[in-house]
Formats: sequence, C-alpha cells, structure tokens
Amino acid sequence: MAVALAPSPPTASTTARRYAVPVVLVAGIVLLAMLSGGKTKFADVPTWLDAHVKPRTDIIYKWVVLNNQKHWIFTRIFDPIASGLRGVNDAVFWLLKALRWPGLMALTAFIGAKTGGWKAALVGVLSLAMCGVLGFWDETIVSLALMIVAVGVSLLIGVPLGVWAGLNDRVNRILRTVLDTAQVMPAYVYLLPIVVLFGIGNAGAIVATVIFAIAPAVRLTSLGLRGVPVVANEVGASYGCTRRQLLGKVQLPMARRAMLLGLNQVIMMAFGILVIAALIGAGGLGQAVLAGLQKNDVGRTFVPGLVMVFAAIVLDRITTGQRRPAKANSRMAKLTDLLPSRLAQIAAVFIGIVLVAIVARLVGFSTFPQALQVNITKPINSMVTWTNNHVRKGIPIVGGTTRLNEVLVTGLLTPLRDAFQYLAWWFVVLLMGVIGWLSGGRRLGLLCSACMVGIAVLRTWDLAMDTLSQVLVAVFISVLLAVPIGILAGRSDRFERAIRPLLDGAQVMPPFVYLVPVIFLFEVGRVPGVIASVIYALPPGIRLTSLGLREVSASVREAAVSFGATPRQELMKVQLPLALRSVMLGINQTILMVLSMVIVAALIGAGALGLETVYGLTKKEIGRGVAGGVSIVLLAIVLDRLTQAWGARTSGQHPAAP
Amino acid sequence: MKQSSKRATRLAIATALVVGLAACGSTTSSVSSGKGAPITLAVNPWTGSAVNANIAKVVLESKLGTTVTLTDLDENATWVGMDKGDIDAVLEQWPSGHGPDMKTYIDEKKTVVNLGVLGPQAKIGWYVNGAALAADPKVATWEGFKDAATAAKFATPETGSQGRFLMGDPSYVTFDEQIIANLKLPLKYTVAGSEAALITAIKQAETDKKPILLQFWQPHWLQSKVKLTEVKLPAVTPACLASADAKDGKYACDYAPDPIFKAASVKLEKKNAKALAFLKKITLTTEQQNEVAAMIDGDGMKADAAAKKWVDANAKIVDGWLAK
Repeated sequence: MAVALAPSPPTASTTARRYAVPVVLVAGIVLLAMLSGGKTKFADVPTWLDAHVKPRTDIIYKWVVLNNQKHWIFTRIFDPIASGLRGVNDAVFWLLKALRWPGLMALTAFIGAKTGGWKAALVGVLSLAMCGVLGFWDETIVSLALMIVAVGVSLLIGVPLGVWAGLNDRVNRILRTVLDTAQVMPAYVYLLPIVVLFGIGNAGAIVATVIFAIAPAVRLTSLGLRGVPVVANEVGASYGCTRRQLLGKVQLPMARRAMLLGLNQVIMMAFGILVIAALIGAGGLGQAVLAGLQKNDVGRTFVPGLVMVFAAIVLDRITTGQRRPAKANSRMAKLTDLLPSRLAQIAAVFIGIVLVAIVARLVGFSTFPQALQVNITKPINSMVTWTNNHVRKGIPIVGGTTRLNEVLVTGLLTPLRDAFQYLAWWFVVLLMGVIGWLSGGRRLGLLCSACMVGIAVLRTWDLAMDTLSQVLVAVFISVLLAVPIGILAGRSDRFERAIRPLLDGAQVMPPFVYLVPVIFLFEVGRVPGVIASVIYALPPGIRLTSLGLREVSASVREAAVSFGATPRQELMKVQLPLALRSVMLGINQTILMVLSMVIVAALIGAGALGLETVYGLTKKEIGRGVAGGVSIVLLAIVLDRLTQAWGARTSGQHPAAP
Repeated sequence: MKQSSKRATRLAIATALVVGLAACGSTTSSVSSGKGAPITLAVNPWTGSAVNANIAKVVLESKLGTTVTLTDLDENATWVGMDKGDIDAVLEQWPSGHGPDMKTYIDEKKTVVNLGVLGPQAKIGWYVNGAALAADPKVATWEGFKDAATAAKFATPETGSQGRFLMGDPSYVTFDEQIIANLKLPLKYTVAGSEAALITAIKQAETDKKPILLQFWQPHWLQSKVKLTEVKLPAVTPACLASADAKDGKYACDYAPDPIFKAASVKLEKKNAKALAFLKKITLTTEQQNEVAAMIDGDGMKADAAAKKWVDANAKIVDGWLAK
C-alpha cells in the first residue's frame, strides 16, 4: 500500500504527468507482488489464522447423527415436517398417477387454456406427450410430483417473505445476503445433513430443492412490490384503503408480472436439482440420468435430460401463461382463474377429466403406450461417436480439441493458477480491497477484503486461488462467445428466434448430460470443467446482450443514421455503449453461473474447491464440505458485487451499497 | 358472507372430485397377503447392487409375500437411511469404504446390524490397459514405474512431465497417494472426480491406443469389455494393514480383498422378522452375481426381469435360502 500510493515525481509535460501516476502505481503493485509472493513463510496464510471451521462443524454433525432419534428438536420438529412433506408428495403423485396419461393431458390442456390460452395449452400437451414418446412417462410422473410440491412450498414460504422484504428495507438487505448464499452454496454441502434431518427420499429432496430454488420467488416478489409507482399507492390510500387492502388490491396485482417471472425462475431452478436429488433417493428422471451416466452411455443420459426440459416446459407454460387479460379489469391471470364465478362450468370440466381417467383405466392405459414410444438413444450415440472421431484430431491448421486442451492447460490455466498461488495472501486481500474501493467506494473495498480474509480463515487459500483462475478463464471464454452472439441476436429477429430453444435447453438440461462427451473431447482435468461451465453460462450472457441492444430506443438509432452513421458505426458508437449496463448484468450472471458449476467441474477432474466440497457428501467429512462451500460463496460475493458496481457505473448511477 | 359460502361450495366440490378420483385409483396395494410389512431395500449405483437387490426382491415377493420397494441412492445416504429406518436393508456394502459408518452406526449407535457376508470378494487394485503393456511390458509390476522414462509414457498436459495416476470417485477409500510416495514412484496422483469420468478416460485411452494407469476394481461391468491388467504391487503384510488402521501414512502395499457384506436397520426385526431371517441367509457367489450382471449389461435386460429369470432357473439355491 505504502509503495502503491507514493506520490508521483513532478514532471514538466502534462501528458507525462497524466501517465506518471498510473504507471508508478502499476509498477509499484507489480513490484510488491513479486517481492512478497512465492513459497515463503511470509506469503502463506499463517497457521494461527484459523477459524477451526472443519473440526467444529464435524463435532456438530456428529452430535446430530447420534441424537437424531431422541432429541426433541428432531422428534417434535423435523420428523413431523418430513412426514408432512412425504404425505403431500405421495398424494400429488397418486393423483397424477390416478389420472393416467389421457387424464393428465386433459388437465394440462384445461389449465393451460385457462391461464395462457389455446397456445399455452397446445405447447403444454405436446411437451407432456414428448415425455411419454421419449419413453420416460413413469419417471416423469415421479419427478413432476416432486417438482409440484417443491415449487408449491417455495411459493408458500417465498412469497410472504418477498412481501415482507418488499415493504421493509432492512429485511430486504438481510434476506438478500441469505438468498445469495442459498443460491451459490453447492447442494453437495447440505445434502447429507438434510438426509440426517429429514430422511432419504422425497422429504429430503423437497427440502434441498426449496433451499436451492426459493430465491427468485422472494426476490422478484420484493422487486415487484418496490416497482409499484408511488402514485398508485397514494391513490389507493386517498380512497381510504387500509394497509391490507392496499397490499391485496393495489400492490400485489401490480407486481404480478414480476411475480410470474419469479415463478418461472423457481420452476427452472427446481428442475436443475433433480439429478442431485436422485443421489438421496428421489428417483424419477434424475435417477434415469444417473443410471445412464453410470453406464457411460451418452444417449441414455441425454434422453431423460431432454425429457426434463419438456417436463419443465409443461409446468412453466401452464402456470405462468402470459394471457393478456381479455376483460378490462386486470385480474391475476394465473391459477386463480381456475376459480371463475361459474362453478358449474369448472365442475363439468373436472368431471370430464375424471371421466377420461376412468375410461383410460377401463381401457387399460396404465402407462404410456409402447406403440407411441420412440427410442432415440442409438442415433444420439452414433452422432456422439462421429463427433468424437472427427473433432478431436485432424482438423487442418487448428488441430482439434485434443490440441485445444493442451493449449488451454499449458498456455492459460496453469500459468494463471501458478501466478495466483504465487502471490502472498495478504497482498491479494489488499489488492481486492483496492479494486473494490476503486469500483464502488470504501464499503465495497472493505467487503471484498473481508471475504478474502474469510477464505484464509477457512484454510482453503490455495484451492480458492486454483478455483478463481479456472472461473476467470471460463468467464473470459463465455463473454468472448456470448457478446458477439448476443449482438447478432439483438440485430436479427430470425437469428434470435432460431437460437431461443437452444438457450432454453442449455439452461434446463442438467449439466450431467454433457459431461461424458466433454471429457471425451478434451481430457479429464480442468478443461472439460471450463467447457461445461461455458455451455451452462452462455444463455444469460447472450440473452442480456441481445436485450440491451433491443432496449436502445428507436429514435436514438434513427438519429444516428440520419447523421450519416454506417450500420457499423451505429452499433459500435450508439447501440453498444447504451447497452453496456445490460451487458454488464449479463457478465454478472455469467460469473454466478460459472461459480455454480464449480462442483460439477470437480466431478470431471477440475479439483480445487469443488472437489473439497464433494468430500463433504462422499466422505462424510461435513466440515471439509462446509469450508469448501463457504469459500465458493465468498468468492461469488466478491465477484458479484464487483461486477454489479461496474454495471452501475457504466450507466452513470451510483453503485449500490454492498 | 356470500364469498365464504361460495368458498365452502368450491371446497366441497374439490373434495368430491378427489374422492371420485380415489375410486378410480390404482389397486396395487392388494398384493400383501398378510405375511409381513412391506420393506425397502437400497440399490447403490452399480450393477452388482442392482443384481442382489432384485434377486432378494423377487424371492421376498414370490415366496414370503413381502412387498419390496427398491430405492436407488448414494451409498453414503444408505447408511443414514438405515439409521432412520427409511431403508430396511442393503445387500452389498464394501467394508473398505465404510469403516467410520460401521463404527458410528453398528458399534456406537447400534441402529444398524451387520447381516454377514454376501459371498463375492471385491478387490481394488492398480490397472493398466493393453496399450501400456505394449509400450513397455515392465509396467506389469510396480517396479516398472520406478523408471522415470517409463512413467513419463503416462503423462498428460495436466501432469506435465510426470506420469499420471488416475483415481475415480473421491468417495473411494484409497491409499494410492501413500503408495506412490512411499514407493518413491515418479507419478502424479490425479482425481478424475467421478466413476463416469474414470470410465470415459479409459475409453478415450482405448480409442487413442494410449497408455493409462488407474485405480480400478473387480467386479465391474467394464472388466468384460475392456482388457485391463492388474499391476503387481508389493504383497499385503500385517505391518502394512496396521499402518492403514493407524493412519500413519506409511501404507506401501497392495489392497486387501474386500469381503462384501449385508447390513440392515435394527428396526427390521420388529417390522418383518421373516424377511430379516431370509436376508441373513441369502448368499451369492461371484459367478452367480456376474451371470445376472451379464444379462443386464450385456444383453440389455431390465434388472427385475434378469433377476426373475435367474431365480426361476435356480430353484434349488433359492430353497436353500428359505430353509429353516
């Protein structure tokens, strides 16, 4: 610090003076970095700096294991919750099953038509049919039941919390940190503790899903409430609304759009955890993916993954249908529409559905008919084999993925990791503090430093530096790809339409599906992890870049054109600068998604913090898992708040307080 | 007032609908012929586990009238499940991986009971592929790896000039790092991260005809598809086993064979004593288990169908398990 802030020597020329300060600053930092780093006693985290997180967590866990059948906390609180969840899940599952496939399709069509019109109904029914056609009907029912209950519980807890956070600033701040943690904390950390508390099977799986997927329900409800114009509130109040009426009749209806988006995100995230839930006995589609993975059969892994995408579409389309309200009064056009004034009509429809179910049962349609099923495993496998044979080697000039693997490892990943690990720990703490300070003020600087000290205290420093290097490489590649694709999509409607299903698929498709091909193309190690993270993290980057370009108002663009700007100039000098805030938000999302892939990357050889966290589940070293998981969360907080601050600066606003 | 009465009507109709649906619900619960409470067996993610669990299911359902649910789950979660009684029993556990579990749940907490060995002997070891032996026949024993030039044939971009030793799932209990260090071999210990990654690495090496050295085990379905040769490590000695127990980091020999054992929740005794007695008696040989595994992995049969076929063809053995 002392060296970095040394005053610059006075110079005669002004240009020289302008450059002198940054040059001296950078030179000073580099010098300090080189002097302080290396494998010296001074550079490593000192041994006294230890919060003993691992042993302490292990002691707590051991106590829970030994007492989970005697102590009242478990018999009076956790066990009843678990059996309640199990009961609800069984009931939903039984209902879906009793309807049989014709009945379930009729129900989907009905709800879809009510919430989103005939288009939503059609998409819902066709997607549901695809689940059967691809040969995974029974598994789909198991997973759908689990998802319905988990999403329901998420809303039941999340919406009230969101309302609270929307009305109270302090609650909002506290919840934001909690939700960030829940979203980034790898499920591997809490999977085994959940099993100890709630048992294996559906109860545990529902709890895990809720922890992971609840964040958008809270966030977007709060955001929606905060977005209600002051005028609307005042009008309501001047008409003599009580606070309760104001909330129920003005604020919540006006926050509807944001809340529906929240529901959509909850569904998408919930489906993302199905495969991990199968590790603790949830069965269904997740188990089918695991079974394919275990046999190393790409086709058998891919098909249930694809079915998951279709199942997610079913649930999404029929619950968040965006039907424009036909009547002038804008009522909540979602599930509440199922309760129209004409009771007889709805009863008739339900009786119709029950009749369909009864007929289906009499005819003997217990499961989806074999004749309608199509097995696409073989063509997929031959496609994969072809790719493996032609992409790995022998491509002129570039060589192939084997060569790319080598270049990435020796040219980028290893030097970067070595450089990060070379730096003295206190130097990194200071550097992050300075970056935070310059980006968003003193508070952000302190937060960044504090998070880095946290990692030191958790005793995971070198692993965290390894992970940080991999994350940065993955983010770099993602941004390099996402921004140009996003620009294309933002300027061409046809291109945007063409890639949209791919983006949806990449987001819901469990990453487990493409692990085997990625390892085969590259080689067990850090590169397949980076590539898998890029695939997973591309969609938000592309979407937000495109969105940003599209939001630049037409009049501004026309003005540029009328001043004689070429299309290229218009893009570079007008559209992109104005879209920068949205692009930065895209980069922010990319970073968080890459960080959420750290665990998956460890399953294909990336090691580092991810592997440390996996030990939490697989070796029952819960303390180790917690230390690894919390370190990932701390890294995420630093990177998230920094990029958010940059995003706020690009639009000329003051950065949000951390 | 009107609102609430409307709500009541809706509720009534909804209830009626649910009851109506109940009438057309499934009738699968009629299987139990009063011979014992239904039980749940764990299936861990490998074929052998599916084989013995399905064989037990077929026999329990057809001969003892006990309905059996099979639950697929992670092997660590299996122990927690047996502790709570969500899982009644599991037929295949490898002792090498579950020392702490046995201590916590069988000895300390006494919520899980050991039902004895199943029969097959598992064995972990170091393996090389055909390409490795072709490149240098010395690698058939551990001494071959002392030569840095030989070891370097196993190098990858990630390991630089050193040879790579690949290990699969981080949950496996292994001594490879210690063996490499104590025998002073120029190898770099690398964790692939999962069984899927390990198998993909083997397939990749086979496609490229590149040497590969890894930790692998018997029985495994891949053993019948890819020719892997076990590397001869120093023989197991009592001193070596003692160092494994003492965790002193001095382990420097081969892996001892793993006698696969069965375990059950202590609650099963009360719930269904007949089923427990049967689970204690059932044993399978390695050959029998492999025979059914081949039907599943080789011929693509479903696990339940393969188990039924084997049970039907081996009535004598099955009767032996049921004899008092």
